[in-house]
Amino acid sequence: MKVLILNNAAPFIRGGAEELADCLVQRLNATRGVEAELLRIPFRWEPAERIVDEIVLNRNLRLYNVDRTIALKFPDYLIPHSDKTLWLLHQFRQAYDLYESGLSHLCSDQRGAEIVRLVRKADEQLFATCRRIFTNSPVTQGRLKKFNGIDSTVLHPPLNDPFQFKGGEYGSYIFAGGRVGDGKRQKLLIEAMRYVRSGVRLVVAGPPDDQAAGAALETLVATRDLRGQVELRLGYRARDEIAALVNGALACGYLPIDEDSVGYVTMEAFAAAKAVVTVRDAGGLLEIVHDEETGLVVDPEPQAIATAFDRLAGDRRRAMAMGRAAKELLDSKGITWEKTIARLLD
Amino acid sequence: MKIVLASSFVPFTNGGGRFIVEWLEQKLVECGHRVERFYIPFVDRAEDLFDQILAYRLIDLADSCDRLIAFRPPSYVLYHPNKVLWFIHHIRALYDLWDSPYRMVPDDAGGRAFRNRLIDLDTRAIRQARRVFTNSKVVANRLARFNGIAATPLYPPIMAPERFRNDGYGDEIVAISRVEPHKRQWLLLEAMRYVTTTVKLRICGASLSPPHVETLQRAIADHGLSHRVIFEDRWISEEEKVERLATALAVAYVPEDEDSYGYPSLEAAHAGKAVLTASDSGGVLELVTDGYNGIVAPPDPRALAQAMDRLHCDHALAARMGAANERRLAELHIDWPNVVDALTS
Repeated sequence: MKVLILNNAAPFIRGGAEELADCLVQRLNATRGVEAELLRIPFRWEPAERIVDEIVLNRNLRLYNVDRTIALKFPDYLIPHSDKTLWLLHQFRQAYDLYESGLSHLCSDQRGAEIVRLVRKADEQLFATCRRIFTNSPVTQGRLKKFNGIDSTVLHPPLNDPFQFKGGEYGSYIFAGGRVGDGKRQKLLIEAMRYVRSGVRLVVAGPPDDQAAGAALETLVATRDLRGQVELRLGYRARDEIAALVNGALACGYLPIDEDSVGYVTMEAFAAAKAVVTVRDAGGLLEIVHDEETGLVVDPEPQAIATAFDRLAGDRRRAMAMGRAAKELLDSKGITWEKTIARLLD
Repeated sequence: MKIVLASSFVPFTNGGGRFIVEWLEQKLVECGHRVERFYIPFVDRAEDLFDQILAYRLIDLADSCDRLIAFRPPSYVLYHPNKVLWFIHHIRALYDLWDSPYRMVPDDAGGRAFRNRLIDLDTRAIRQARRVFTNSKVVANRLARFNGIAATPLYPPIMAPERFRNDGYGDEIVAISRVEPHKRQWLLLEAMRYVTTTVKLRICGASLSPPHVETLQRAIADHGLSHRVIFEDRWISEEEKVERLATALAVAYVPEDEDSYGYPSLEAAHAGKAVLTASDSGGVLELVTDGYNGIVAPPDPRALAQAMDRLHCDHALAARMGAANERRLAELHIDWPNVVDALTS
């Protein structure tokens, strides 16, 4: 069976979705009787009218020599194909939850409303033609149900390289991995370090969304005079390096704004038996980060986060116990590639 | 520089159309550029040709890179203020193959209007490029003839040519390429019926058409050629290719009116082997000059047989022309630094 994976692409930017798509192709190709390839279509969502072009563009493309498509996102899933399985990583949130909450770039005038209607119409028509619809998290699943009335099954993306995250020493630093940008609130982590009393350090490593995002962190560390307490390793880092940082950490810190899914950063921490410090509005990862059990969930305030860091540093046995509970919880979910591939090919 | 390479593709098919893109990508990265590659699907058919072209045109890469390099049709319609084309062919069924069985639409008023619409659209889109390079003179001439656009041939090199070696000149004429009717391995088989020396022919390559492979196998059996023809009907590895060419007497490559000189001709040159080709093989003749770096024979079994015998009888000639073939690459500047320079200047 020839399986084509459909994904969007912002040129020169790589993130979790890109890693997932590559890994999915690899795993499919390692499956008997399956040949897989990745199709990436450049996607641009600004200005708002651009969305109309994107819908037309993807609907006008044609596929040949493909038995099955597995589509991950809007608008790539609009590319016509008669045997399509959806593994929805997220909808075009600007036309759904972000629009409702006033955070969308589609302003709430007549034109914005029309574009939103168009996106929803295109989605509705598409969902009706898919052979199966999976979502990557209960959050995505809930939105799909709420806004489109569509039932779906949650299929958590497994870690791409779980063998790297074996755990290790519980060191004297909190590790914060993942993309660097406003949506991930590394600034808040750094601000928190001003209030830390225990001497625990913070290591931030990952690729900035743009130059400004990286520069902002560097400036913040300098102006708050935190060079001794905060280490920045900005830019794309090798997986070995990231894994070593996770494996040697006391715990991990991750504060995304209302993230859709559990996310790799949290799964990596859990796989390595590290507790995760997060905040109440972090979204999808709260599905597995349970306060006082597998991590600490606090208010998105610097002092509260600092207190959480100090608690872990002051009671290392508790930090280790929560880390072990985190690992047990993750293992109990049985999120493996073998099962994932079987369901996607079903 | 941030460079986007964009081309069209049919999923799950490989071939020259991808090599040229991916090899260039590797070379650009080696030169310190940041490169992103996109293959956009395209189905070569009339019913939704313009719908698909519209999709390409709507793709917005204008702000995301410093330069766009486009290859296969219809990637040249992509918009970018700094667009460079390495144009490998038109949508041929509406261009040079119009007067052939491959014509995409009927030759009536509607069909001709359809064709003219494409040519007009192509011409305008191609004119928006700052430079237009082609993979051969044949294609450059077509751009001049159909679109009135002047283009410069920029000959595509192969990847890592230094891996090829020359271990001398044995008794095999080697033909390595996809096995398809238009590559005319059947013509080489026919020729083998008329050779008078003990020259051998080795055909290597995979085919999209099992019946065609059977036809060739039957021809070998029917004409009692099995002791002189070796047919490896599979995709041979690059290592195997190096071995086959190292001991070859010469290389045969006789496609029917090919657009470009073809990678088999280049591989021959890097292994120091002459190329036997046909006078109607198209782009191959841009590389091969009769008597200098190979033999150009009429596409006739007896003439090809004579050429094979000549090479077999005169190893010194085969060696001399093989050496000249290697020099020919330098004369035509077929090398990566030249390509990178042209496409990034």
